[in-house]
Amino acid sequence: MRKRVIHREKPKERFSYDPKKVLSRLEEIGKEILESIKSGKNPYFEVPTRGISNVYFDRKERVIKMGDKTSRRYFLNVAHARKFMQTLVIMSYVKRLVSESKHASLREAYYANKHTIPGTRENTFEDQRESDPIIEDLERMLGVLREEMHITADRRGYVYGDIVIKDGEDEFNAGKLGMGGWAVPGTVEHIQFPEINVDYALVVETAAMADRLIEEKFPKKEKALIIATQGQASRGVRRLIHRLHYEEGLPIIVFTDGDPYGWYIYSTIKQGSINLAYLSDKLATPEAKFVGMTMDDIKHYGLENVTEKLKGIPPNKRGGPSGDYKRILEEMEYPWFQNKEWQRQFKLALRMGVRIEQQALANKSLEFVAKEYLPEKIGNGVLLP
Amino acid sequence: MSKSSSDLFREFRIQSISEFFRRNAAMLGYTGKIRSLTTVVHEAVTNSLDACEEAGIQPHIRVEVRELGREHYLVSVEDNGPGIPEKFISHVFGKMLAGTKAHRNIQSRGQQGLGISGAVMFAQITSGKATHVITSTGGEIVEVWVKIDVGKNEGKIVKKEKHENPSGWHGTRVELEVKGVRYIRSKQGVYWYLKLTAIANPHAHIELVEPDGRLIIFPRSSDEVPKPPVEMKPHPKGLLTDDVYRMAKVTRRTSVKRFLIGEFSRISEGKVNELVKYMAALRLIKTEKDKNVQEQLYKRLAEGEVDKVLRSFRGYTKVVREVKKLMEKPPDKITWHEAEEIVTAFRYMKFMAPPTHGLRPIGEENIKRGLSGILKPEFVTAVTRPPKVYSGGIPFQVEVGLAYGGNIGAGLDLLRYANRVPLLFDAGSCVTTLATRSIDWRRYKVDDLDRTPLVLMVNVISVHVPYTGTGKQSIANLEEIYNEIRLAIMDAARRLQTYLSGKHRKQYQAKRRKTFEKYVPEVARALSILTGEPEDVVRNYFLGFIESHFRAKEEAKENA
Repeated sequence: MRKRVIHREKPKERFSYDPKKVLSRLEEIGKEILESIKSGKNPYFEVPTRGISNVYFDRKERVIKMGDKTSRRYFLNVAHARKFMQTLVIMSYVKRLVSESKHASLREAYYANKHTIPGTRENTFEDQRESDPIIEDLERMLGVLREEMHITADRRGYVYGDIVIKDGEDEFNAGKLGMGGWAVPGTVEHIQFPEINVDYALVVETAAMADRLIEEKFPKKEKALIIATQGQASRGVRRLIHRLHYEEGLPIIVFTDGDPYGWYIYSTIKQGSINLAYLSDKLATPEAKFVGMTMDDIKHYGLENVTEKLKGIPPNKRGGPSGDYKRILEEMEYPWFQNKEWQRQFKLALRMGVRIEQQALANKSLEFVAKEYLPEKIGNGVLLP
Repeated sequence: MSKSSSDLFREFRIQSISEFFRRNAAMLGYTGKIRSLTTVVHEAVTNSLDACEEAGIQPHIRVEVRELGREHYLVSVEDNGPGIPEKFISHVFGKMLAGTKAHRNIQSRGQQGLGISGAVMFAQITSGKATHVITSTGGEIVEVWVKIDVGKNEGKIVKKEKHENPSGWHGTRVELEVKGVRYIRSKQGVYWYLKLTAIANPHAHIELVEPDGRLIIFPRSSDEVPKPPVEMKPHPKGLLTDDVYRMAKVTRRTSVKRFLIGEFSRISEGKVNELVKYMAALRLIKTEKDKNVQEQLYKRLAEGEVDKVLRSFRGYTKVVREVKKLMEKPPDKITWHEAEEIVTAFRYMKFMAPPTHGLRPIGEENIKRGLSGILKPEFVTAVTRPPKVYSGGIPFQVEVGLAYGGNIGAGLDLLRYANRVPLLFDAGSCVTTLATRSIDWRRYKVDDLDRTPLVLMVNVISVHVPYTGTGKQSIANLEEIYNEIRLAIMDAARRLQTYLSGKHRKQYQAKRRKTFEKYVPEVARALSILTGEPEDVVRNYFLGFIESHFRAKEEAKENA
């Protein structure tokens, strides 16, 4: 048996779910507003500014973080009054949700709070596009996840592997639920892991590849937990990855297509995203590593015949760069990709003008990925940072 | 059956007067079933207003229109005027085309139609009935029935009664029975006419009893009885040949020169000498055969080069002497042709502008009172422009009143007046309409003219209002008048704008306030859930906060 490079580490964080924290933060802010109006001051919310201007890359923690710019949302301001009202309405709704231990989707939260304001023809919310940003603002204001406020995101992704999951009253082994695994819910805050019998978690971009690995019994043989993101990782999946790494000490290895989109999925899991920069502390996993697909794999495994051309116009052609080329050039500039391994991948991709999918490995044989590619690369530690 | 010649002649005369009436119906105001009725009321009411004005009495006029049958009405108009002395009654009500003010140089309401005698005539030819008049100057009450003797063109009293007058009543009541007319509450009808009359005559109390018995009162809103207009000598620029010819026949002056200086304004000895030269020059130019040269000479004459024009003709002194001789003739010997020459020469000459003391505007204060009293608007303003002249010499003056909001309905209503008399017909071609339409109302914060409650009154005052057409219901579009109306409207509109700005500011504040207040119930409920503070307590905190914020803002504005 080969010596394992990848193994479970010591946890750095502890299970920290506490519904009381949200409630106390809500009450605290409510009281501040009440005090202002009592003393004849124009009450306001201090809302951290959204957008790229208030985002930076923390080199020490290696995650995208939110800056300290805030804006004030006043009640007595024609431009703010409506949002002020909406913020309070959502806050009171969240308080009810959390104290009654109920969960609502974003859309439910919208409909639950939409009604006509008495004496007007105006609704509290005209559109879900009005309520969603208010909820995001609240996350930043309160410093809690939307999931902690019992407002769930769209669920996507599933896990398969020998771990025991405790979800409320239910307790089960995620390797014994059939080939479909356990679908990751919108909220994973309350999930606990009484038993973990895997060495690492393999995050897989496509469901097809995850299914292939499950069918080939990869999780059992390699003592791996398969996490299928099904495209860009949902908040639930990202939070799950974060918690598995920090609370359970599982190393995270990411396996995506060899194209700018796949690499961006990796980037989001690892460093967080600009939109959710304020949540990087809870969603990002900077210790994650990348197994493939890489540009070097093409030559190393002789996959030249199964590559596909990059879309768009190369930078040296008229009208370029566009499409995939442009995306690659952008990613090359990301601070966390400033290392020679990644720069090499980007340069190779640009030079070769091709992309390589995970499923291209099936060109060798169906079991190639499970029997040779992954065990070899992971076992030998041929991973990108 | 044969007729005597005098009978025949008589018949001819009767027919001719009726014929005259029928042919000139449009000019006299007796066309159309609705308009005819309005004209009858107009003549009687005008007489009442004029009489009261001359006597310095605050008019109290009651108009009653009673329906006697299909298109058959009894119109009665009663005033509290000085009354008519018995011996003048037949003259006032009977004499056609005489004693009217048509040829007096006076700003008068009675410029239209034939006066009350026309109404008497109209009643007579439609219903065949005599006009019933009850009047008293304070002594005994005289009750007469008057008809017009079309043969003699004078009033004939067919019946007369006298009554005691213990209460000392004075005034006149006229009852006219008319057929072939219709009472409709339209913008050409009696109701509208009286409403407009009341607005322009705020010193008058006018009431109307409609055929269905409804009583409408247009109350008096000013105690000030306007001074009667004074007669002015005619100005040379406004003359017609007929004026000169007719006046020359009746003047007491001994020579044409004396007549011109004495009977017209702005004519001096010097001007007569100038006139002689112009007339001589015109006679000489007429003899010129070359059309181009003639054109040139007329042009130079118009430019005032009368001496040079004269000298360009050989033997011009002889012509000048002839014209000079004409000036020494007795005026009644003047021929139509000579009168025409004089009027033509006046057109080429320059004169001082005529005196304006004869013009009697309603006045800004009284317009405001009239509009406020009758229309009950939210805002009212008025502009009386200084007198101006049109066509080189006829004085006129423009007044404008503007009322906004209150009881006024949406849309712009234009009330047109000439010498205080409402014009109800032919609005489209009238200079007042054209000038009003030319205003860009949006510049004055009136964004949607069709939805803004506005009433604009325009009064054009002149000794000689230039009407278009025969109906005398529309004022000609002369540049000078058009411009004056525009200036007056713009001035009034600017004041409206100032008012609306203030109003808009208040509305804006109220609207702003509402944007906050409407969210208070939502905010209070949510905050109550979050903090446990009772909802109504939280609501009052917020409402109180908004209240004090806006009060402070309003105070700051007022102190500024």
